[in-house]
Amino acid sequence: MKPRVAFFDFTGCEGCQLEVLNFNLEIVDLIGAVDIVEFREASSDHSDDYDIAFIEGSQTTDRDVERVQKIREKAKILVALGACSCTGGVNALKNRFSMEENLKVVYGDSAKLYSTIPTRPTSAYVKVDVQIHGCPPNRNEVISLVKCLLTGKKFEQCHNPVCVECKLAENICAFERGEFCLGPITRGGCNAVCVTGGRKCWGCRALVDEPNVNSEKEILKKYGLTMDDMMLQFKLFNGALEVSK
Amino acid sequence: MQNRVISRKDLASFVDDLIKTKSAGEVIGIKAQGNKFNFGPLASAAELRLDYDISLLPPKKYFFPQTETVLKYEVGKTPKVEAVAAEKPLCIIGVHPFDIRGLLLFDAVYGGKEPDPNYFLKRNKAIIIGVDCLSPNPKSFAASMGTNITEEGFDLMLTDLGGDYFVTVGTNKGHNLINKAKTREAGAPDLEKRDKVRKEAEKKYQVSLKMKKEEIPALLDATWESKLFKDRSETCFSCGSCVMVCPTCVCFDVQDEMALSLKGGERYRRWDGCMLTEFASVASGENFREHKEQRFRHRMYRKGKYLVERYKYLGCVGCGRCASACLAEIASPAETYNLLKEAK
Ligand code: SF4
Ligand code: SF4
Ligand code: SF4
Ligand code: SF4
Ligand code: SF4
Repeated sequence: MKPRVAFFDFTGCEGCQLEVLNFNLEIVDLIGAVDIVEFREASSDHSDDYDIAFIEGSQTTDRDVERVQKIREKAKILVALGACSCTGGVNALKNRFSMEENLKVVYGDSAKLYSTIPTRPTSAYVKVDVQIHGCPPNRNEVISLVKCLLTGKKFEQCHNPVCVECKLAENICAFERGEFCLGPITRGGCNAVCVTGGRKCWGCRALVDEPNVNSEKEILKKYGLTMDDMMLQFKLFNGALEVSK
Repeated sequence: MQNRVISRKDLASFVDDLIKTKSAGEVIGIKAQGNKFNFGPLASAAELRLDYDISLLPPKKYFFPQTETVLKYEVGKTPKVEAVAAEKPLCIIGVHPFDIRGLLLFDAVYGGKEPDPNYFLKRNKAIIIGVDCLSPNPKSFAASMGTNITEEGFDLMLTDLGGDYFVTVGTNKGHNLINKAKTREAGAPDLEKRDKVRKEAEKKYQVSLKMKKEEIPALLDATWESKLFKDRSETCFSCGSCVMVCPTCVCFDVQDEMALSLKGGERYRRWDGCMLTEFASVASGENFREHKEQRFRHRMYRKGKYLVERYKYLGCVGCGRCASACLAEIASPAETYNLLKEAK
């Protein structure tokens, strides 16, 4: 029987799903290999069953938390897809302010009608089996994961910092262009697309296994940057992580 | 073999001719990339930057690409496996002597009893036109490693004499090639000039070993316990930049990639290196070099001891790429060897 795959949407930009659905030719094979059931509302979850649940976005209300817990109960494998689910992603920017402030800015006078909780990674609420990092995630990694699930192979996320793929791509290092890059402490697997595209790494794929954050701070000094410069950049995607505090 | 002298103009016509006729294969040359240099396909002789210091990646990438499919397979009732290796005649212009030394080390490592077909199918066909490095990179210490000059490993070697280029002819292939160009025979004064230019360049190296290169293995034998490895690797990112850019790093990882149809797939290899955290971990979960100081020390031994013992070549040609790429400024083998010597 084909594994049943479901995508669940939480707080995020839906860019992750777009990225997954974007893989042109391979999507045909993917649809052949699995049954995709797409869900948008928690209420209809109960009747259907699925083997693999992809969680996109962060849980930013108590209702979200309940919903993801229910999904966990049913899914054999739960995958955090994209930065918002893996680390809290850009959503964690709101953790810098009080929740009351956030509600006021977004909803103005109707703030009283809403509630919100600080952004945390999905793994703060339920057991996450696999993380597919990135904002957006790399579609090849999604395909790779599906293949692993189909063949029973263990899925390995990339253990190397972004610098490895950056060197393979023959880029000039962003530091040599006078920019501050998070590549040395960020998990690779994205082919260093941002640097290859002429920018720098913003750390959207979270930290590597052994990040040398102290050393990253050391280079700051060398290149005449301050700790605030780094934290500002680092917190864009990793605001919910312990090291950001 | 008779050496030649060629004018800048005639060298340009010679190169343009190689590009046009493809008589020596696809022409690759050293070109500007931003404010750096790198090897790439040459569209015209005007792109050549023979005055460069180092390329971002060494020319090994043409014989040992960053990723390369080595096998294709089909599964099912009648499984099929097919090795993938293809020839590709190339003419690479502007290879520095230390990078040629790097290729000679590669030949030794990938050769032997079971030569690597993917490497040699490309390597054996290639024509190497070298150029002496007259403006060394500030981090390079090739002169200390004796690799700033090479007498072997090239078909032709160019030396910029100011107005003209001296052409040292290394092989018959090179001889036949340069015969097509407008040149004159090199005489004793030309040779003298070439050697003088080389001597001058040798003085420009800013980093040097504080010992003879032959002493490195013994130095390492005596310093395994040194505290220096831990201290110096404190700031290491385990980012692998030093091993990715190195002309003598030979390591790769092998992966099987099944197609989504699950009917078959391919096996590919990809550059890997000992400074990366997972490099020495095995299926059981054990990691033989778990700590960064172990990895740091391993690389130093690998370059300065293990390879010499096995292949008679030092594992470092002193190009300075690792030192230029390392954000923590700790990757240069010369600096570590010097510090070990001082501390002893
Ligand atoms: S640009 Fe960033 S990712 Fe690339 S090598 Fe430099 S620090 Fe590493
Ligand atoms: S280069 Fe950095 S910011 Fe860009 S996709 Fe990769 S991890 Fe994310
Ligand atoms: S020595 Fe430098 S380049 Fe090499 S892994 Fe460590 S930090 Fe990266
Ligand atoms: S170890 Fe460094 S200096 Fe030595 S050959 Fe490799 S990149 Fe060049
Ligand atoms: S063991 Fe390390 S130093 Fe040696 S070739 Fe491999 S990556 Fe390079």
